Amino acid sequence: MTEQRVVLVDGVAGYWGGHVAERLLAEPDLHVIGLDTTPPRQGSGLDFIQSDIRNPLLADLLKEERVDTYVHLAFIESDRPNETAFDFNVMGTMKVLSACAEAGVKRVILRSSTLVYGAQPGNSAFLREDHPLNAKRNFGTLRDLVEIETFCNAFRGQWPQAKLTLLRFAHIIGPTAETPLTRFLRDDAAPTLFGFDPVIQLIHEKDVVNALAHAAIYDVSGTYNVAASGAMPLFKLTGLAGKLSVPVLHPFAYLGESVLGAQFTPIDFDYLRYACVGDLKRMREELEFEPTYAAEAAVREFAAVRKAKAVVPGLSPQDLEEEHLRAVIERRKRIREQVATGGPARHQPRGHTEAETVAASADSSLYEEQNHD
Amino acid sequence: MTEPKKTTRRTTRTRSGSASSSAGKSPFEFTTPAADTSQKVQQAMASLEGLATPSAETVAPPAPPEPNGSGAAPDLDVPVEQLQQQLVHELNNLIARLKELNPAFIPAQIPGVHHVLNAVQDVVGKSNFEKMRSVAGDLLDPATWKGAWYILNQTVQFQTETVKRRWHGEYETDEWGFDPEVMEAVAPFFEFLYRKYWRVTATGLEHVPNTGRALFVSNHSGQLPFDGTMLASAIKLEHPRNRLVRTMFASWFPTMPVIAPLFVKCGQVTATEDNGIRLLENEELVAVFPEGYKGVGKLYKERYQLARFGRGGFIRMALKTQAPIFPVAVVGAEEMYMSLAKSDLVAKAIGFPYFPITPTFPWLGLLGTIPLPTKWYIDIGAPIPMDGYGPNADQNLILVSQLTDQVRGVVQKMINERVAQRKSVFRG
Repeated sequence: MTEQRVVLVDGVAGYWGGHVAERLLAEPDLHVIGLDTTPPRQGSGLDFIQSDIRNPLLADLLKEERVDTYVHLAFIESDRPNETAFDFNVMGTMKVLSACAEAGVKRVILRSSTLVYGAQPGNSAFLREDHPLNAKRNFGTLRDLVEIETFCNAFRGQWPQAKLTLLRFAHIIGPTAETPLTRFLRDDAAPTLFGFDPVIQLIHEKDVVNALAHAAIYDVSGTYNVAASGAMPLFKLTGLAGKLSVPVLHPFAYLGESVLGAQFTPIDFDYLRYACVGDLKRMREELEFEPTYAAEAAVREFAAVRKAKAVVPGLSPQDLEEEHLRAVIERRKRIREQVATGGPARHQPRGHTEAETVAASADSSLYEEQNHD
Repeated sequence: MTEPKKTTRRTTRTRSGSASSSAGKSPFEFTTPAADTSQKVQQAMASLEGLATPSAETVAPPAPPEPNGSGAAPDLDVPVEQLQQQLVHELNNLIARLKELNPAFIPAQIPGVHHVLNAVQDVVGKSNFEKMRSVAGDLLDPATWKGAWYILNQTVQFQTETVKRRWHGEYETDEWGFDPEVMEAVAPFFEFLYRKYWRVTATGLEHVPNTGRALFVSNHSGQLPFDGTMLASAIKLEHPRNRLVRTMFASWFPTMPVIAPLFVKCGQVTATEDNGIRLLENEELVAVFPEGYKGVGKLYKERYQLARFGRGGFIRMALKTQAPIFPVAVVGAEEMYMSLAKSDLVAKAIGFPYFPITPTFPWLGLLGTIPLPTKWYIDIGAPIPMDGYGPNADQNLILVSQLTDQVRGVVQKMINERVAQRKSVFRG
């Protein structure tokens, strides 16, 4: 066997780090190292190292382990701007990037969000990756992401041989992930704005993991919007997801936000007022990634799981399992058709057969997490 | 809600033509055998269909010059027989379609029409009643009311189901947010404005291609942007392919509640070059109003004098996509509001791009926003080709500026010609 390429994933005790590391472990020609301050739940096969990303000796570790690709997923989400989170997210990323430069790591992959463009009335319907980052600074997570992206741009200029991959994901939805959108949809009291119905772009949690793994496996670099096809109006989304929408006149909503702070709503009101949708041309043509879930399918799955969790006496676990299996079968069928038509041939992990590709993208972990609840 | 009423009227008309023959055949009785009832229901529903596509046959009896040769013998009986056969055929089709749509549908019971009519008959006497019936036609026939009731029920149920379905998010939009159902719902209002209120005369529709990209460049006027809706209505209603026009609106509109989503759901988009290029590359029809706020907020004394045509963004869009430009002159919109002055102070305070003062607005409040029923003309000129300037022509600043002036000149000339021809603002 030829020497394995070393991929280091940080934040493996977190949701994204954990899932991406698990997904990469399925690749035979990769050696996956996990890094975090606390050990992850699933440790099978993962070469775990306990350390903070801000440790000054990180460069030595990367050099010693001959890390080829660094997947930086350690991130603290925060509602209102928060110094601890800022220090970890922004300063941490700076330290990671400088350690990577010092150790000669070839590629770095980071997760960002399309929300960094900012929701503004003059936005084009589809924002390209070179659109200025106009997000407001009153949400902690977004402020940190804009800072990180600005720093990454400067870093690219100073270290041209670096291959930085920034994946900007749309609103993430899924039955297990905890994201601003899922919080918004689960919370019936979270208001919408009266008389506004912007187009919302989504991506399924599994496709987020797949896209990050895709970026780690293949030799790509650059900044990409990543989202599912079929963006939909907000009220279609809340209708499909079974969320009660409570429309509030926008001046009052903004007043509430400024008085009560960002925790008043999981999603800043600007994003419930104006569209902020990324153009997916580069994702398809240059990243050569295609999400497996269409937006509507992702919302329907979320709604089905949510309904089942809301202790509906009529819906038995068998019904739920049936529904899931139906979704799995349908998706596997679609993937197989895609493979048959020869479209996204490069999307298959290297050295895998068709059947294994299908198995890899099926949601086995979904069941496990489902059963925990 | 008004449909059933119309139905009844229409039924009366068709029936009154056939009254002489059918009244004699079937004795009038209030037991209403099932066959008769269903026939009447069918009849009512057929005339509903007739409303959607008013065919010449449904209203044929009073019109003697029929194209298919019956002009030689203006005998009423023959067309009536044909008419009945045609009706029965149409009815059967409609019934089949309604049943297919809604197999389980049973209308609620109509409350006691029989008893009322029986009582009336007893009071006025049978022979008098027969006379009344020949005058009032189907209005005194319970089957008519049953048919109307059936259709009313169907309509109400359909509307409720639509609302319920949309509440649960079960509808389709395209990636821009265009929602054909919303478009269909507001279309009658704009059709009323187009046909009845402003009595728009559209010319030059033959220039508009059946397929493929095109960019309409129009003057902008009228304080409220009704000219965009009327241009889109002209193509929707009068072009043989009824194509959708994507008009581009300024970035102030997305900040307005209700208006913003309505615009988007009707297929309109924010005015940015990226949006325009993408739409044109998708082979769509795009309409732009390069004057922007300066045009739409013109004072009455400045009417029909074109303002600056933006920064030439629309020319760059057309050059980049090689889409032909169709100059459009909208005449009549300038006079629908008479803007005497503009208040910058108020506009700034409430965040509007301009705030017009007209003889009625803001003095009469919302009443002051009702536009005057002027007569409108929408003239679509011959296309100005935008291919043949070579690649990267959109980056040639001088060319863009020249073409902007050229298009502006063409539009101004078209406006001047139409205004000169026009004799009256209200009658055209």
